[in-house]
Amino acid sequence: MITIEYWLILSSLLFAIGAYGVLTRKNAIVVLMSIEIMLNAANINFVAFSSYHMGLHGGSQDPSGQVFAIFSIAIAAAEVAVGLAILLSVYRRYKTIDVDKLNILRW
Amino acid sequence: MRPGVTRGIAILALALIFVGVMMSVHWPQVGQDQLAPTTEDVAKTLFGEDNSSGYGLVMFLIGLLLLVALLGGVFLAKEEKE
Repeated sequence: MITIEYWLILSSLLFAIGAYGVLTRKNAIVVLMSIEIMLNAANINFVAFSSYHMGLHGGSQDPSGQVFAIFSIAIAAAEVAVGLAILLSVYRRYKTIDVDKLNILRW
Repeated sequence: MRPGVTRGIAILALALIFVGVMMSVHWPQVGQDQLAPTTEDVAKTLFGEDNSSGYGLVMFLIGLLLLVALLGGVFLAKEEKE
């Protein structure tokens, strides 16, 4: 059985990789993918803590964390659908999806 | 120093802080004979075993959110007329 520390370290590293992608990459699609990696890190935390909680309380079957992870995946799907549509619209207008060049909202 | 390198070092420091905190916390050990929840347990938690429990309403709202996201995505990606 893998202890919870290793799951938390895995999710921390995934979160850090996602944050690195968000901060350093210029392609907006890669930035979206990095955000998805960060969301998946949160999902791993949900499932790991749910399993840990069940183990602590003598095998009570309460997989609420798994259910929350399913909700999180659904919300991530909605977010990426809207994000990709926005990127498509931005590309049609400005012919680029480089986030450094998309500064039209900056004031 | 290039900004990418600076950000990389900052993220590496963040990851090291995360790992250090995880390792410094004392996590109580759980029993080794713990049975993993089955998909049936997850489904029972999700939809409930009677009408007053579970996350049925949340599931409905998530479905509504997905529908609105789909319609919004179609609206945003629609080709504009000249």
